[in-house]
Amino acid sequence: MTEFGLRLAISMTQIAAVMGVVVITVLILTLAERKVLGWMQDRMGPMEVGPYGILQPFADAIKLFFKEDIVPAGANKFLFTMAPILCLIPAFIGFAVIPWGPNQTFEVGGITVRPFVISDINIGILYILAFASLGAYGIILGGWASNSKYSLLGGLRSAAQIISYELNVGLSIVGVLILGGSLSLVKITDAQAGGFWNWYLFALPAPQIFAFVVYVISSVAETNRVPFDLPEAESELVAGFFTEYSGLRFAFFFLAEYANMVLVSCVAAAMFLGGWNAPYPGTIMAFIGLPSLAWVENTMWFAVKTYSFLFLFFWLRATLPRLRYDQLMRFGWKVLLPIALGNIVVTALAVFFYQQMK
Amino acid sequence: MASTATTKRLNLHEWFKTITFYEILVGMKATLSHLLNYRPVTLQYPHEKRTLPDNYRGMLALLRYDDGTEKCVGCDLCEAACPSRVIRVVSAEVPDEPTKRYSKEYYMDMTRCLFCGMCVDACPVDALGMTREFEWAVYDKRQLHLNKQQLLAIGDRSFPVREKRLELQHPNVAFFNVAFKHVPPKPD
Repeated sequence: MTEFGLRLAISMTQIAAVMGVVVITVLILTLAERKVLGWMQDRMGPMEVGPYGILQPFADAIKLFFKEDIVPAGANKFLFTMAPILCLIPAFIGFAVIPWGPNQTFEVGGITVRPFVISDINIGILYILAFASLGAYGIILGGWASNSKYSLLGGLRSAAQIISYELNVGLSIVGVLILGGSLSLVKITDAQAGGFWNWYLFALPAPQIFAFVVYVISSVAETNRVPFDLPEAESELVAGFFTEYSGLRFAFFFLAEYANMVLVSCVAAAMFLGGWNAPYPGTIMAFIGLPSLAWVENTMWFAVKTYSFLFLFFWLRATLPRLRYDQLMRFGWKVLLPIALGNIVVTALAVFFYQQMK
Repeated sequence: MASTATTKRLNLHEWFKTITFYEILVGMKATLSHLLNYRPVTLQYPHEKRTLPDNYRGMLALLRYDDGTEKCVGCDLCEAACPSRVIRVVSAEVPDEPTKRYSKEYYMDMTRCLFCGMCVDACPVDALGMTREFEWAVYDKRQLHLNKQQLLAIGDRSFPVREKRLELQHPNVAFFNVAFKHVPPKPD
């Protein structure tokens, strides 16, 4: 019983830490997006709350918390309440299998603890993809339960878009899975150790560059970001599926969108960019004689990769206009899908012949 | 027909541009260059204000002479000139001075004003002025129905340097609408 209690306490601590990190990241992202977007457009971004506007996320959070919570007339109250939660939980639950740092263990009261991953399940990436697809339910139900035509149109668009691009995300990852020989993110990351030439983006025998491009485009589409933000196209659909939402429920949708961004960035970093591995063999900390602090460097590298990927989201948003709906669908099914499938064939053949040669 | 076929076919160069996202990369380079050479055009408005041009047409005001008397002679020309009927003048004789008129009441409905400056042009005695005030947002739009005292107050705070009376500026010119006691004695 005490062992169970200890395990529970450790797991809860890990979950709380990961949730805290993700929520803080989302807070930073909401500010960073406005700032970066402003700088790219020769504006300043938020400047009023705190020095250079750095307290803006807290002001936004307080505002959303105290706003009136309106349920529109004719809305399905149960689904209207459930939708933001259905959207938020899948966005957060995927972080359970993300390895944040080196795969090391230590003992606490006879229990082996892995500090940098909540649970290393052997189907990690499938688990993330499965829950990411569940997030679409929240969007569709939110759009339908609002009893508003804008919300419904946004929800329907989102359904079609997420289903189309989930496929490309899944297929673009298959090449990495063939190279890594595992579905566990921890094993995949471990296999990419020892320099950036071992990252699956560049690794022989089959560099996953095309798969990475497909993954980047599809993940932007999957998180409903510009230029694929048709579900919430503000010039056509007011705000899409969360038109009728206000206050904390809106905050949940907002949180879910940004948490999804962080999640796909983490997956991209872990699958293609070597996860927590530094771009050079080993770590500087081990080199200068502090191997016990190597995890600091490794987690920093993971953060750098994730934040670079998130910066790419902002950069694309500042650059590109929104696609038309038929362009979106044609691009997903007629361009990205063949590339992803071709990548699987090429990778499989390359790995097969590579192993035959060895 | 042949021409359309040739235009539709992409040559190698265009294929290369398409698969490397050349056009998108050019756009992303442009946005990144703006990020790196960050020169914002924003003015943090309530904290810093832009310099107004010299001929800025802001809030209207009634002016006074340097002895504190009102310039307005109640001629109603501003009321006639105003295209959106902002101004209402009630003209009257100055008590005990039958040759002199003044505006007994003077109202401006600034909710309708379009700041064209025609009333200022129309005024024969330069009694109206356009100040550089523009921060006139109010919670109740009835606060924008200004009376004579308010307009004079705006003029007092915006034009601290006042003109002399016309007859003192030009002693040898005959003026109507002038109280006789103000007329300087003729030089002998």
